[in-house]
Amino acid sequence: MTHAPPPSVTFLATCVADRFFADACWDAITVLEHFGVSVSVPLGQTCCGQPAHNTGRREEATRMARHTTRVAGQAGAVVLPSGSCAGMIRSCYPSLLSRDTSLKNGSIRERGAEETSTLPDRVRELSEFLVHDLGVLGRRWSDSGEATPRLGSGLEGMRVAYHHGCHALRELGVRDEPLALLRACGARVESWDGDMECCGFGGLFSAKFPEVSAGMADRKLDSLPEDVDVVTSADGGCLLQLSGRAGHRATGGEPSFTHLATLLRRGLT
Amino acid sequence: MSPRNRILGYVRGATASRPRVPHPGRFDGRFLAGDDRPPVDRFVELFLAAGGEVERFADLEDAAQWLYGFAGDFESVTVGATVPGALRPHVPSTCPDLATLGISHALAGVAETGSLVLDSRDGRRTQLLAPTHVVFVRERDIHHTLVGAMVTLKADLPSAVGLHSGPSKSADIGQILVRGVHGPGRIVAAIVGEPGPE
Amino acid sequence: MRSAVTAAARTKDERRQVAWAQIDADGWRDWARDLKTHVLTHLDDYLQQAEQSLAANGCKVHWAATGADACDVVVRIAERLSARSVVKAKSMLTEEIGLNGRLEGAGLAVRETDLGEFIIQLLDEPPSHIVGPSLHRSLDDCRRLFHERFGTALDASPETLAATARVVMRDEFLDADLGISGANFLAADTGTVALIENEGNIRISTSIPKVHVALVGIEKLVPRFEDLSGLIQLTARSATGQPIGNYVSLIQGPRRAGERDGPDEVHVVFVDNGRTNLLADPEAWEILRCVRCGACLNTCPVYRQTGGHAYGWAYSGPIGAILAPGLLGLRASMPLPFASSLCGACAEVCPVRIPIPELLVYWRERAAAEGLTPALETATMKIWATLSEHPDAFGVAADAVGALPLDAVGRRLPVVRGWMEERAAPQPSRERFLRTWSRKEEGQ
Repeated sequence: MTHAPPPSVTFLATCVADRFFADACWDAITVLEHFGVSVSVPLGQTCCGQPAHNTGRREEATRMARHTTRVAGQAGAVVLPSGSCAGMIRSCYPSLLSRDTSLKNGSIRERGAEETSTLPDRVRELSEFLVHDLGVLGRRWSDSGEATPRLGSGLEGMRVAYHHGCHALRELGVRDEPLALLRACGARVESWDGDMECCGFGGLFSAKFPEVSAGMADRKLDSLPEDVDVVTSADGGCLLQLSGRAGHRATGGEPSFTHLATLLRRGLT
Repeated sequence: MSPRNRILGYVRGATASRPRVPHPGRFDGRFLAGDDRPPVDRFVELFLAAGGEVERFADLEDAAQWLYGFAGDFESVTVGATVPGALRPHVPSTCPDLATLGISHALAGVAETGSLVLDSRDGRRTQLLAPTHVVFVRERDIHHTLVGAMVTLKADLPSAVGLHSGPSKSADIGQILVRGVHGPGRIVAAIVGEPGPE
Repeated sequence: MRSAVTAAARTKDERRQVAWAQIDADGWRDWARDLKTHVLTHLDDYLQQAEQSLAANGCKVHWAATGADACDVVVRIAERLSARSVVKAKSMLTEEIGLNGRLEGAGLAVRETDLGEFIIQLLDEPPSHIVGPSLHRSLDDCRRLFHERFGTALDASPETLAATARVVMRDEFLDADLGISGANFLAADTGTVALIENEGNIRISTSIPKVHVALVGIEKLVPRFEDLSGLIQLTARSATGQPIGNYVSLIQGPRRAGERDGPDEVHVVFVDNGRTNLLADPEAWEILRCVRCGACLNTCPVYRQTGGHAYGWAYSGPIGAILAPGLLGLRASMPLPFASSLCGACAEVCPVRIPIPELLVYWRERAAAEGLTPALETATMKIWATLSEHPDAFGVAADAVGALPLDAVGRRLPVVRGWMEERAAPQPSRERFLRTWSRKEEGQ
């Protein structure tokens, strides 16, 4: 049995979490470090380009993809506390960085270092990294009998509703990972009829079609199981949408809306 | 230029430089994998599930006996052109748009879809207009798969084939399922075993 | 109305899930995708083969470059016959080209015979769903309508209403001079027009009137008669969760010698109406694989909120949003390609694997490139991209967002205004993560 060196990862906070979920970013790092991962945070990181991509600004999206690719380094896993941004990098970067940047100028193909970047293969959403790369769910004891770091039971008795962000679910195929982690920490994940339906965020969609978007959030909120303590998700954008709508409706007795990384950090104890 | 040649020209121009994708081969309805029952069993299961009724007979004589009793409840009947003589009940025959019972003979059945394969040579109105429809089908003519039935059919196609897989239904009124909207609200698959009518 | 649409769409989606679970859905979908792609990459061959097969069956083939041309073809047939009345089987293509209005303008009485189409024809509304045109109307809506038109009781059962419609339409069927249908598929080798339905009105519309006209989009071809088997089953399982449509018509032409009944003439009108443009598009041509099952509508959270009429034309839901720019033009389709959260649910259910979210983004790219998006949005994205390439400036801007009193001024800011109309202001963290992280690193 050889001892692998402690893994090191690059952490991209994502612009939404950086601004609105600063604590969750720290929590994600705490969880990673708990499992012996050394975390580096490139200070040049900005936005992955998803807003531009989703509004059809291919050229701008490509510029942001190039920047993020440069910032994210050449090797090792790149972990994000967001399924949506990780999905953007994995699903959309290969095409953005290899195809024409201008539709009017179809013959120009810009080839650079970014095109051959391995970033799309190295990018991970947090729960995906914990389960598949670190294997934290299978951890019991090492061969030498030493206790290895494990999840704790800090979420014992907590009733959680988990919202599957669309891109984590459909672009990354992350579905059971966050649920298994929450359960392993003692949380009771309540079954939620609409858990895999879109919350209506969709970036600028939420501002361009506010009524439709709010109706989608209402469908989510109205189908929440009763007596849930916390609604959580791997995506801050979805949580802003759901908590913003719940706050607007102010029907009383709303659960708290907490980022998955924060719950997992609480679960360590 | 004629619209025909213009459209074909546009189609050619549009696809000229596109890689051509080969035909994926015959559709393999893998739905039946693992179901080694005789096709009639699967047919019956699906036909009943779709709201149809099923009667099974050992032979033509049996079937005729049942039909004479069944048809007695109807005022008038319309009978398809290819229905064997033995399956014509002694009930006044009338034109299909007035008859209360239609009797047809199916070319074949399909197990995987629970369908009766009806032939325009038998008469289309008889298959469509009466509120109740009895369709005779020989057990040995029930195919496992739709593709199997279609390959057989293809050798001798009439002007129209109708696959009927249950009573006429609609959920267009408030999403509530109702029967007998346009076609027959009641359909009976009358399956005749061996020896079949010759 | 919203709850009716939501409930109906969810039910249909659940039925599809059950029906797909019974089959190797992935394998069937791969086959269907490949078959349709094969056809679309050999379309000129199959159109010519179909033309010959149809002619050999005794059908008259017409070609129409535009919707108006297709309507003219039908009107000319009706005029030659001195026809007065038409029964119509449900056809999205005829909705697309506005055939009913044209026929009525030519003095014909047109009856939509699908029960749902019948209801919305009486209400003078367009269909709100590809498969269930009256899906937005409740039982009580129908009761009121039938009470006013046919004198049924206000508490009549759905069965009574359906029976009433049957009686009203039966005489119209028997008297009609012309039956008009679309086509789900057309097999090139046998010249077979394939039609799927549940009520029997399509079988009757194509069997009883002396003349049957089928309007067929040029993308509807399949190579061989037996290829229909897979597509017919997959369409039914995707649309309604049934193993097969209750009635499938496979039409090879007019009544033959010795046959008791059936039309004396069958006309097939091949309609382009923008399809060759779509076919030429390097990305969007894949939309032409669509079999109009409506599964993407049923699963779409946006469609479930808005219903079909919000899309403003015949085809609604995700498929309507990507088809519109291809058939109507991008300018006329705005803002449909943007009316999606890109959640991807539609791509998961498409039986022919049309990459709907990617195509929504594709049309957005085209719209942005053609200047069809708001100038403010364009400017914002340019600034955003430039900031993203300059981390220090990006950081300052992000700090500024955190300092904005959104509760107070948000309603006056572009973009944020849309958010604030329906939601509480988002609460920024006191300090951005990257600020605190860099301070920690400096401290070490």
